Amino acid sequence: MNDLHAVLWIARKDLLQESRSKAVTVATVFFSAVTLGVLAFAFGENPLLMREGAMGALWVALAFAGVISAAQSWQADLEDGALEALLAWPVPRAAVYLGKLLANWGLMTALGFVLLPLAGGLYGADIGGGAAPGGDGETAPALVVTVLLGVIAAGTLGFALIAVFYAGLTANLRARESLLPVLMFPVVVPILLAAVRASNALVGSGDLDLAWAWLRLLVGFDLVYAVVCLVLFRFVVEA
Amino acid sequence: MLAGIDLDVAVGRVVALHGPNGAGKTTLLRLLATRLRPVRGHARVLGHDVVRQAHDVRTHVATLPVYGGAYGALSGRENLRLGVALRGGGEDPEAVDRALERVGLIAAADHLVRAYSSGMRKRLALARLTLADAPVWLLDEPYAALDEQGQELVDALIAAARDDGRTVLVASHDLPRSLATADAVIEIAGGHLRVMARPTRATAVTATTSAPVDGEGDA
Repeated sequence: MNDLHAVLWIARKDLLQESRSKAVTVATVFFSAVTLGVLAFAFGENPLLMREGAMGALWVALAFAGVISAAQSWQADLEDGALEALLAWPVPRAAVYLGKLLANWGLMTALGFVLLPLAGGLYGADIGGGAAPGGDGETAPALVVTVLLGVIAAGTLGFALIAVFYAGLTANLRARESLLPVLMFPVVVPILLAAVRASNALVGSGDLDLAWAWLRLLVGFDLVYAVVCLVLFRFVVEA
Repeated sequence: MLAGIDLDVAVGRVVALHGPNGAGKTTLLRLLATRLRPVRGHARVLGHDVVRQAHDVRTHVATLPVYGGAYGALSGRENLRLGVALRGGGEDPEAVDRALERVGLIAAADHLVRAYSSGMRKRLALARLTLADAPVWLLDEPYAALDEQGQELVDALIAAARDDGRTVLVASHDLPRSLATADAVIEIAGGHLRVMARPTRATAVTATTSAPVDGEGDA
């Protein structure tokens, strides 16, 4: 069968399940909002500290929400032997991975786009207002926001690549809730660092050159992780 | 753990596997469905090795898992459409409806599977099995959770599969039904095989014990 067709069917299945259960949406939105609120409270009343910490707080919230999202995405597959049945069909294992990745990435990116203005408002960081001095004043903020959305998309992709892979690896283990973050966070640190740096460069100073440099690194990590995860995923689900 | 198994099942035969809990019936079926890998020995389905040619095996095998194997947050119809799509079948809503009608689930087709009883889930799995159009069926406890009417439906599906030339392996504790529907009944005990019934119709099936291996069989 057409592998792309299989990818889209599996992603559609996961999104359809989520649209009915709202399990991931409720948990991640609630958890992210609490994280942003608690960190804002911890930064205190220092406006400079708040502004500089805004993007870090955003990515902390996204990272922890991403763990919940990835773990939950495999949970439905484990119920009633659904994954066992699916894996007995002639479906390429890469299509299973990419389908789940697509659904997970979509949810995380949407969450990131929702959290971005929330973090900006809560931390007093002017999203897009940090355009470099000397810009044309009209297009520079829009460009900053566009690149910032690109950073969120690339960062959540890198995170989802690892999260879906390791969530699949630990799905059948009794201690999966504790093992998943322990296994995946060391691997995902480069993604988070690059995403935070790129976001900070944009929101803090509107330094597009610096942001592009970090974004290129981020995309590079995405590509490496995509290849490695695709090659190794069949060993995760095969007997 | 399976050991010392040497089993050939001819194309078009219905073979029932009988034995106590933990005897290895499900293990054998999962091995043939490529969901378990033999540590030693080998298994082939229609000439395809279950390890080296796993994808080819999967295209020729349809399984009925002991659990329904359906997604609870999807409706019965959505589950079947997903199964058809992922097996490479085209969009055929009428075929899906026919399958649902055949197993008596058409009225509940748009209900979420999580609201189904265990018997309804088994019926849904039977509908998915018939839609797969695979030459080899591996059925794990097909009668479990079904009422008398549902069990008769399983018998009818197995009989139809035989008429269509499919090869069917059935793991079941229901010995009377196995005797009535299968060409041969093979007992698995302690990981070993023994032909226990209807030898005149079991000429295509041989079962012997040999040097221990973890799984060996042709279906």
